[in-house]
Amino acid sequence: MGEEQELRIRVRNNLGLHARPAGKIANEAQRFASSVVLTTEEAEADAKSILDVLTLAAPLGTEVCIRAQGPDADQAVQALAQLFINKFGEDK
Amino acid sequence: MSARILRGIPVSTGIAIGQAYFLNRCHFAGITRQTVDEADVPVELNRLTEAFESACQDLERILGLVPADLHEHAAIIELHLMILRDPKFRKRSQDHVCSTRINAEWGLERAVGDVEEIFAAMSDEYLRQRGQDIRVVAERVLTKLVGRQAGLRAITQRAILLANDLTPADTIELEINKIMAFATAQGGKTSHAGILARSLQIPAVVGVEGLGDDLSDGQVIILDGFHGRIILDPNEDELARYTDLQTQLEAYQATIMRSCQLPAETIDGYRFEVLANIELFEEVVAVNDNGGEGVGLYRSEYSYLTRTQMPTEEELTETYLDMAALVAPKKLVIRTLDVGADKLMRSQTTREANPALGLRAVRYCLKHRDVFRTQLRAILKASVLGNVSIMFPMVSGLQELVEIKKFYRTVQAELHAEGVCFREDMPMGIMVELPSAVITADLLAQEVDFFSIGTNDLIQYSLGIDRTNKDVSYLYQPLHPAILRSIKWVIDAGHKAGIEVCLCGELAADPFCIPILMGMQVDAISLGPHAIPGIKRIIRQASMAECTALLKQVMASQSVARNNKLVRELIFRRFPEELLFYSSLLDEDIN
Repeated sequence: MGEEQELRIRVRNNLGLHARPAGKIANEAQRFASSVVLTTEEAEADAKSILDVLTLAAPLGTEVCIRAQGPDADQAVQALAQLFINKFGEDK
Repeated sequence: MSARILRGIPVSTGIAIGQAYFLNRCHFAGITRQTVDEADVPVELNRLTEAFESACQDLERILGLVPADLHEHAAIIELHLMILRDPKFRKRSQDHVCSTRINAEWGLERAVGDVEEIFAAMSDEYLRQRGQDIRVVAERVLTKLVGRQAGLRAITQRAILLANDLTPADTIELEINKIMAFATAQGGKTSHAGILARSLQIPAVVGVEGLGDDLSDGQVIILDGFHGRIILDPNEDELARYTDLQTQLEAYQATIMRSCQLPAETIDGYRFEVLANIELFEEVVAVNDNGGEGVGLYRSEYSYLTRTQMPTEEELTETYLDMAALVAPKKLVIRTLDVGADKLMRSQTTREANPALGLRAVRYCLKHRDVFRTQLRAILKASVLGNVSIMFPMVSGLQELVEIKKFYRTVQAELHAEGVCFREDMPMGIMVELPSAVITADLLAQEVDFFSIGTNDLIQYSLGIDRTNKDVSYLYQPLHPAILRSIKWVIDAGHKAGIEVCLCGELAADPFCIPILMGMQVDAISLGPHAIPGIKRIIRQASMAECTALLKQVMASQSVARNNKLVRELIFRRFPEELLFYSSLLDEDIN
């Protein structure tokens, strides 16, 4: 099955995981062969599905766990974490 | 094996036995739900994939055409493209096609419904709004799907129409003469579908739970518009029983229609006024055909609920003038805006924790004086034609009534100053439907020309129950001693002050309740036009003596169960047909 990677991170952009960040997450996640799941206290979402990510409805400050499983799990987690850290290019 | 029975709310009486036809439409206009053969499932899956791909290509092409300076535009298209490419969304559509063996369109529709539901539940307003994007995107795919289809299957024979919901627009497209009855999954007692069915005089049941996927087109079903039942795959027994009932019903209806134009006078010479509750122009014909002696309640919300902007004074005036002329020389009682609670306005965006106890009806009007003024001016202007009265809903007490009257006089004075004609002595009344208004009815009676008791709200507010809440609906007891005492007290208070008292709730259309109301000497009742002939027949065959005796018994009784038994005995003895052909508010208790 390949390796499993996990990382906890907080939503840092003011508007939270609205449509555009969700789109960026899904786009990025689709580049990897690994499965990627985002989990909050309340819900779980397939990172490759924009609709799923949107349903997390995660506002600023929410803790999100990025978990990937597969051949490129490590890169996938790092790439997604980078998006969170960069606030999805918002709030400059 | 016994038949499976679906239950809903009966909104138009009658029995229909026939083949079901699913008007395959949830939200998109004109999608058909079709069951497909096992072998055709891959075909449908393929159609779905191709439609998704083709819609994606379109969007990509469009995205390429967006000028660089329109970033916002491009962002939305990108978002839509992402939704189209969303693996889960596609998979949901495919899963629906596979699991229920339905056509691609319906699979897509169901997937959209699933996702919409998720979005609708979100607490974040912005995200909730994004739910709309799903539908916009799905429309693209749907267009592709439909474009490839030979054409929607038409109804080829008379059928019982099943649908998620029916709007007036839907029915225009349908060939009415091919529809024996209909049932919808959405809707309540007062939904438009019900009004429509009654005006078409076909049986209908709305709010049917479980109306949907396991029904296939062409399956024989029985629709019972009296009890709100749909019997799937009826057995021979049931078919025989309902066919028999249909025959009896036709004979009974012919009988009551023959006498419906005669006055509602008891055999011992006591006369009641029988009026109609209406909302639309189209219903006036039914009022006249069914022997209605006027309109006791003209609900004015329609002009407000069917659009996003407030209607103008000119529009309202024209509507009311038309209605007054149409109903003339009979009486037309216009109820001012009763919005809020169950009929939330689109333009009224604030959410209330407790709409039934919130800013509705005259409270809303007193707070939004401009809205109130516009309607009052329109009603006053219309008063020059026909026989118009004005009525204020949800009045809670004397102080509020004085406030309403003060504003009403101001508006009259304004019209005067402008030299606009209106009828100065137009009768003015109030709905008595709040317990506080009941208790102070003696005071309120001094200030108005008539009372109209709204029993639907009165029962809910007095007994503290929401009838649509299944857990407490058993407490909806029209013959509760508190309700009977309230109604009697209001009628007596009105009479003492020398004003007329009308009753315009569902109680007035209930054959089991009418003898009690007669015993209380209510002056008038107002009910749905199609219930008039049956109620008039009871009144014409009853005697005031027996109604008075019954009233005495129920007023002395302490229990709802005993009251229900008493009225049932009278109906059973004197009007046995009514037991067959009416659904009663008391049914729950009786059965």
